[in-house]
Amino acid sequence: MRSQLVMLAGLGLTVSAAPAAPASPASAQPSGRVVGTVAVTESDGKPANPADVIVYVVGFAEPAGDQVTTIAQRGRKFVPDLVAITVNEHVAFPNNDPFLHNVFSQSGARQFDLGSFKKGETKDRQFREAGVVDVYCNIHPEMAATILVLPNRRHTRAGTDGHYVLEGVPQGDWTVFAYTRRATKPTSAKVTVKAGAETTVDLAITRGAEPEHLNKYGEKYHDTGEVYR
Amino acid sequence: MRIALAFLVVACLVPRTAQAGRSFYGWLYGTEVMPERGVELQTWIFEENEKYGARDKESSIWWGPQVGITDQLELSLPIEMEWTTPVPGKTSFTFKRFGIEARYRLVSQDPADAPAFAPLLRIAAKRDVTVRDDLRVEADAVGSYERGAVHALIDLGFVGDLQPHQQHTELRPGGGVSVHVVGDLRLGAEVYSELSLDSLGESWVAIGPNVAWTHGRFWLSGAFGIGIYHVRTAPRVMWGIAF
Repeated sequence: MRSQLVMLAGLGLTVSAAPAAPASPASAQPSGRVVGTVAVTESDGKPANPADVIVYVVGFAEPAGDQVTTIAQRGRKFVPDLVAITVNEHVAFPNNDPFLHNVFSQSGARQFDLGSFKKGETKDRQFREAGVVDVYCNIHPEMAATILVLPNRRHTRAGTDGHYVLEGVPQGDWTVFAYTRRATKPTSAKVTVKAGAETTVDLAITRGAEPEHLNKYGEKYHDTGEVYR
Repeated sequence: MRIALAFLVVACLVPRTAQAGRSFYGWLYGTEVMPERGVELQTWIFEENEKYGARDKESSIWWGPQVGITDQLELSLPIEMEWTTPVPGKTSFTFKRFGIEARYRLVSQDPADAPAFAPLLRIAAKRDVTVRDDLRVEADAVGSYERGAVHALIDLGFVGDLQPHQQHTELRPGGGVSVHVVGDLRLGAEVYSELSLDSLGESWVAIGPNVAWTHGRFWLSGAFGIGIYHVRTAPRVMWGIAF
């Protein structure tokens, strides 16, 4: 629990961080853009695909959009395995595999258990708290995904070249974060955004091994006999 | 009394951890149901000792699978066995009933959407193996309220034994409270009664402590009912294993 709080604090997603914000939508205020690149390396030093990185800004809140983000279950994988949404938005979980999946989360920011559902069926959940939500399948231990529930809509996925652009960031002093699944530690940088101006922030992040997880009963998965890594 | 109140206040302040248990009570139905396509095997063992002026003693086994049809509806296929003392000095152990029951939770079970008050309806139809023309119907209206570590529940049950030439009906009201103590352990107390509505049956009431414990896919709960009307003791334990 303590390490989870430290991690959330590191990601700027503790309860105190999210609401410390102007109440009005950012789009109604003077804004600028934040651009830059993200360099991703594996723990052995080899470069990794930056397109697996979400870049976001915290320090202010915005209302949710009306879009529903989708995480499909396909080929015994969650596709995509990392998404960012705004607080109060929904995520849909369609099953595209010809067998059952049981999507669940035991994360402190959002616990749920969708039960088992078959091909063609979709279940969805709303996320009302900012935080990091790790999602797994209770049947297939190799399936893992992460949902970043963010306090505003200023988040984006980096391109394959590592370049990112965050449009419409309200002027002020904020913190820019980069997050990828299997990140060994959060990475962030302070940024001062001025109206109509472009600010450049380059970030670097290191990825490690897939963290271990247990099934929804808090047990090791029985088909492998050991915790999935 | 002060210690009990202090305990309750402290318990209310303890952060609640996830509980996978289906019922926190011994004699009362809970308001949790299986998630869709979830399966669980449930077993109950209960006794009613020295009912109706020390005449009757009963020990019963209830066993059945539960299947989540939707996230709010589950079906159960129970089998009941019963050991009794029909006449002094003689005992009988028999396969008593089998049947089907449905439990429908009227509100979402999702932690983010579930309201503090959760109602559940239960109906069951069972064939009595020893009385061939008897159809037993059971119904319960259950309501639970959860705030912090405290869970309170009221169960208003009805049982009818319907035969072509006679019917016996009884009410089975009960209520209880369960408090999260530590880890996956809960303690509380409950009252349970079986109140005959005709001359074909008799009534009894018991009250006592209860306990509930969850460990992964396994949960256990039980109550030790101490008779306050027409029964000496009424202990009951139930457990389930989810798959």
